[in-house]
Amino acid sequence: MPSVNSPVGLKKNALGLWSVPTAQKLVLMFFFAGITFGATGLGAMLLMTLLANTNLGKDESAKHGISLSESSRLGGLAIAIIVFIYIAGLSLMSPYTSGLERDATFLYLWCAVLFCGLLGFAEDIKPDFLTPSLRLVAKFSVLGALFWLSPALIPVSIGVPAIDFFLNLPVLGWALVTVFAVGFINALNMADGANGLVPGIALAAFAVFFMEYGRPMDGALLFACTIFFIFNVISGWYFLGDTGSYGLGAVLLCYGLLGVVDGHFSAGFMAALFCYPCIDFLVSVIRRWRAGRSSFSADNGHLHNRLHQFLKARVRSSVMANSFTGLIISGSTAGLVLVIHLLDVLPSASDLWYGFFVFEVVAYLSVLKYLTSIQPKTQYSDPL
Amino acid sequence: MRSIVYFMVAFGLIWVGVLESATSSVDDFRHRPDVGDVEHQGSVERILAVGLVGNLVVKSIITNGRRTVIAEGHETFSESNQVLSRSVEGSD
Repeated sequence: MPSVNSPVGLKKNALGLWSVPTAQKLVLMFFFAGITFGATGLGAMLLMTLLANTNLGKDESAKHGISLSESSRLGGLAIAIIVFIYIAGLSLMSPYTSGLERDATFLYLWCAVLFCGLLGFAEDIKPDFLTPSLRLVAKFSVLGALFWLSPALIPVSIGVPAIDFFLNLPVLGWALVTVFAVGFINALNMADGANGLVPGIALAAFAVFFMEYGRPMDGALLFACTIFFIFNVISGWYFLGDTGSYGLGAVLLCYGLLGVVDGHFSAGFMAALFCYPCIDFLVSVIRRWRAGRSSFSADNGHLHNRLHQFLKARVRSSVMANSFTGLIISGSTAGLVLVIHLLDVLPSASDLWYGFFVFEVVAYLSVLKYLTSIQPKTQYSDPL
Repeated sequence: MRSIVYFMVAFGLIWVGVLESATSSVDDFRHRPDVGDVEHQGSVERILAVGLVGNLVVKSIITNGRRTVIAEGHETFSESNQVLSRSVEGSD
């Protein structure tokens, strides 16, 4: 049984690292949670505060390139608990609220999400419990089985003729989507390196999905991700952990594919929404391959590492520099897509979103090139 | 011991929002069967329970519930008392 200190106890653990007193952070976090989600938000924030202060799933600062404080990796677990309570309660008490399993596709989808989350949870509780290759095989197996059992999740057209041709070939289409799915989940896990980065992207994505469909599950995920986002950005006490990045990655992937399949969203829209993790993943793999290292070895050469270093020299608080990094990246990619969607400037089913995606890629490469040119090479390209 | 109390408070507060969402959904079907907006259903209690953003989320969930229930044909509205009743013909 992990020991839990009182929330006040957090103050003495962290005073040496943060420029703003911890008590003020707690007040700010609870204020925003109360304004956005009332008593429920306060409850969710309290639950996250308590879980963040358990000894279970603690992550040493050195394991995350940006973070300087010892934080909890149980962010994903906290989100899962809140979503479970909300959905289970709502389904039990209101017969007029649709549940999770609307059809077989959703049943398989949530089974795959659960398995991915559990895979990450094992890693959060006991690091290196499973070897990287075993985790990769497990992800391929689960997602491969999902797409085999639910071929309705495989898009037949994404607006790129060459890829559409292959997607329409039965086995090749399945294999392509499975490889993409595993890559996407790994990309989201790799991008989880700054406060509010992946939570911000997930928040924007769930807001888009909820506005489009209004499903209770989307609402519960939007709620949990909003509270986690507030917590993560203000305090920096939490990481999503592998539970969060694998679980949320699987949900976002499946929702995105469903949205493209049913024609509500274009593939270009999804590319623009999830641009940062995907591009950062590809660029990181190429960078490591060119350096003669394993493509999946960790290093500090990501754009968020370099942007954080740039900001740290200009902002006194390390947590603020960390949070600004996440907010700038998630805000200028997924956040911007959300705003454009809200303003209805561009229809979500339009292929013109590919243009926005190209703009994001050019912006990513330009900023990365600039930051690389002004920062020492070895510090950021060496393995951790 | 104190931490258990904190956890209970946290779960209790989350449950307030669950209760508010569920009762709002049921009330909506009992008293407003027409597929109109649910704009006027926000109240001080609901704002306190689920907050400003949560209020919008609950409204969308109610609207989605209506659409789903009606589209699936499992439920019909009684004309006389406007109370939702189960349709034998509509269910599988």
